[in-house]
Amino acid sequence: MATKVNRTVSEVETRSLRHPPELLLGLYRMMVKCRLCDEKARILFRQGKYSGNFYSNVGQEAGEVGAAYSLRKDDWIAPSHRDWTANIIKGAPLKYCFAQLYGKATSPDRGRSTPAHMGYPELNVLNPASTIAAQLMIGTGIAWGLKRKGSDAVVVAYCGDGATSIGWFHEALNFAAVHRLPILYVVQNNLWAESVPLRLQTALRDLSDRGKGHGIPGVSVDGNDVLAVYDAATAAIARARRGEGPTVLECKTYRWYGHSEIDPAKYRSPEEVEAWKKKDPIARFERWLTEQGLLNDALKANIYQEINREIDEAVAFAEQSPYPAPEEALEHVWAKS
Amino acid sequence: MARTLTYIEAINEALRQEMERDERVCLLGEDIGIGGGVFKATAGLYEQFGEDRVLDTPLAEGIIIAAAIGASLVGFRPVPEIQFADFIGDAVDPIIQQAAKLRYRSAGGFSCPITIRVCWGGGTGGGLYHSQENTVWFAHEPGIRVVVPSTPYDAKGLLIAAIRDDNPVLYFEHKKLYRTARGEVPEEPYTVPLDKAAIRRPGRDMTVITYGYMAGVTLEAADEMARRGVEAEVIDLRTLNPLDKETILASVRKTNRCLIVHEDRKVLGIGAEVAAMLTEEAFEDLDAPVLRVGAPEIPAVPFSPPLENFFMVNRDKVVAAMEQLAAY
Repeated sequence: MATKVNRTVSEVETRSLRHPPELLLGLYRMMVKCRLCDEKARILFRQGKYSGNFYSNVGQEAGEVGAAYSLRKDDWIAPSHRDWTANIIKGAPLKYCFAQLYGKATSPDRGRSTPAHMGYPELNVLNPASTIAAQLMIGTGIAWGLKRKGSDAVVVAYCGDGATSIGWFHEALNFAAVHRLPILYVVQNNLWAESVPLRLQTALRDLSDRGKGHGIPGVSVDGNDVLAVYDAATAAIARARRGEGPTVLECKTYRWYGHSEIDPAKYRSPEEVEAWKKKDPIARFERWLTEQGLLNDALKANIYQEINREIDEAVAFAEQSPYPAPEEALEHVWAKS
Repeated sequence: MARTLTYIEAINEALRQEMERDERVCLLGEDIGIGGGVFKATAGLYEQFGEDRVLDTPLAEGIIIAAAIGASLVGFRPVPEIQFADFIGDAVDPIIQQAAKLRYRSAGGFSCPITIRVCWGGGTGGGLYHSQENTVWFAHEPGIRVVVPSTPYDAKGLLIAAIRDDNPVLYFEHKKLYRTARGEVPEEPYTVPLDKAAIRRPGRDMTVITYGYMAGVTLEAADEMARRGVEAEVIDLRTLNPLDKETILASVRKTNRCLIVHEDRKVLGIGAEVAAMLTEEAFEDLDAPVLRVGAPEIPAVPFSPPLENFFMVNRDKVVAAMEQLAAY
C-alpha cells in the first residue's frame, strides 16, 4: 500500500512548473521564515535571553512547511515539541511566538509553557506536551470530533521517528483507520530520536509502513524536497476532506543540531552532519526557483530583509513585554461553570 | 411514595436524559454499545441513540480518553467509560497530562469538558484486577474533578452535573453499589454540586468522614455506636477533588474528634490529606488525634474470600475505631 517516492534533486529540477509561482514563492518564503525564526531562537537562548530550552527544527523545514502550508484556518495542527514553527506556518504573529520564548505575559498562554509547548487556540494549534505521541492521540480525537460534526476540516499531526515506537502512536492510527478520520500523520524521520539512531528504533526501512498494519496508506518522501512533501500532503489532505481517511506521510530528513540546545550531539559524526547540510532543503529549493526564473538575488535579499525586520520587531516586543505576575500561576486551573 | 431506583439505574437514567437534552453528549468505551456495558450501565442507549453517539471502541484505554478529549476541543461533551479502574493505567497520560492541564497550559484557550466514568471498588470477589481503587492518583491533580457518589440520588445528580461542567471530571462509580444501593431518585433531571460534601447523619460526639461504598458501611457503624451512646456525624465527601474543606472543618469544630474511613489503603489515602489539613487548620479544636481506617499495605485486593474480607473495611473495623476515638 505504501508508495515510495524518493526523488533526486535532478528529478525535481526537470519537473515542469506544476504549481503557481505565488505558491512556490510562498513555500520558499515560509521555509525561510521558519529557518530565520528558529536560528534567532537558538541565538537568543545561547545569549541567555530566556531560560528552559529550545528544540530546533532547522533542516526539517521542507517537511514542516510542505505538510501544513495548504491548511485552512479551521483546520487543526497537533504539533510535537519540535514544532514551534508550526504556529508560524498556521499564521501566529511572530511577536507572540517570541513572547512565548521569553515566558512573557503577552504569550498566548501567558507564560505557562516553554517554547516547546506553544499552541495557539485561536488558530486551532494544539498545545503540545513532552509526552511523545500524545499529540497524535489528541489530534486523532479532534479528527473524530470534526468528522462527527460533518465538517470537512482536517488535522495535521506531527511527530518524529521515535514517536512511532510508542503504543499511543498505534492506538491513534488504529482508531483513525477504523473511523476513516480526517488526519494526516507527518513523521519527520530525522534519523535520530534524541541520541538513539534509527537502527535501534525500528527494523523498518520506511516508517510509512507503520500505516500498513493499520490499513492506512503510507507515503515516504524525500523530506528535504518541499514540493514532494507538499504534493503528498495536499493529496492526503484532499483524501481526508473527502472522507477517505487518514494517511501516514514519512518525511526523510535530518535535524541539523542537537536534540535540544543543551545537546552537543556528539553521538553523530561531523561527516554525517555535513553531508546532510549539503542537502539543505532551503538552498536546494532556492537553486531550483532561481533556475525557473522565479527568484533572483534582489528578491531573495528583499525576502530575508523583510523577515529579519519582522523578527527584530518581534524580539523587541517580547523583550519589552512584562512577565506575568507571580500569582497568575494560580489562574486557569478550573473552569468557572 | 417517591420512585426508587438502584444506583446503576440512576446512572443509566442520567446518561439517557443528558443525551436527550444535549446532542453534544456522546458515549464511548469498551462494550458499552452493542453489549450495553459489562454491568449494563449503558443498557438501551445504543438502541436509542445509535452508534454515532454510543460508540464501542477498540480495546485501548489511551485512545478512548484521548478521543474524548479531542472531540471536546471541537464542541462535544463526551462521556468515555473505563470499564474497570484497574485498567486506567494506559489512560493516565491523557487524563493527567492532557485533560487536567489543557486549560491551564493554554491559559483558558482550550477547555476539556469530558466526564470519565470509571467502575471501581472491591468486595465483589473481583480479585486483584477488578477491584482496585485509584481515586487518589487523580485527586492529587489540580484541574480534574474526582467525584465518588455513594447513593442513587447522588449518582444521578453528580453525573448530570459532571456532564454539564466545563471541567474534566472523573466519575468513580462503585460496582458493589450498582444493585445493592436503592433509593429515591426524582424522575426529572437535577444536579448535585460537584464540590460539596453531604452530612449523612448529624451527630455531636465525633465526625466520621468517608465516601463511596464505605459511606453505607460507616452509617451502619454509626447506628451501632448510637446504641452505645455515641452520636457520630457522618460526612460523605462525594467529591475528592476539590475537597470540601468548609464542611469538614465546620463539623470537626463542633465535634472535636475526627475519624476517616476509606476502602483505599490507609497510607497516603485521602484520609492522610484530611488529617493533615485538620492539624493545620483545626488543631486547637481537636480533643483527640485524628484516626484513620483503611486497607492494609498490600498491592491489590486478593481473591480468596477470607483474604478479600481481610482487605476490606467493614462495619466492625469502623466500630472499633470509633470506640477508640470516643475513649480517648
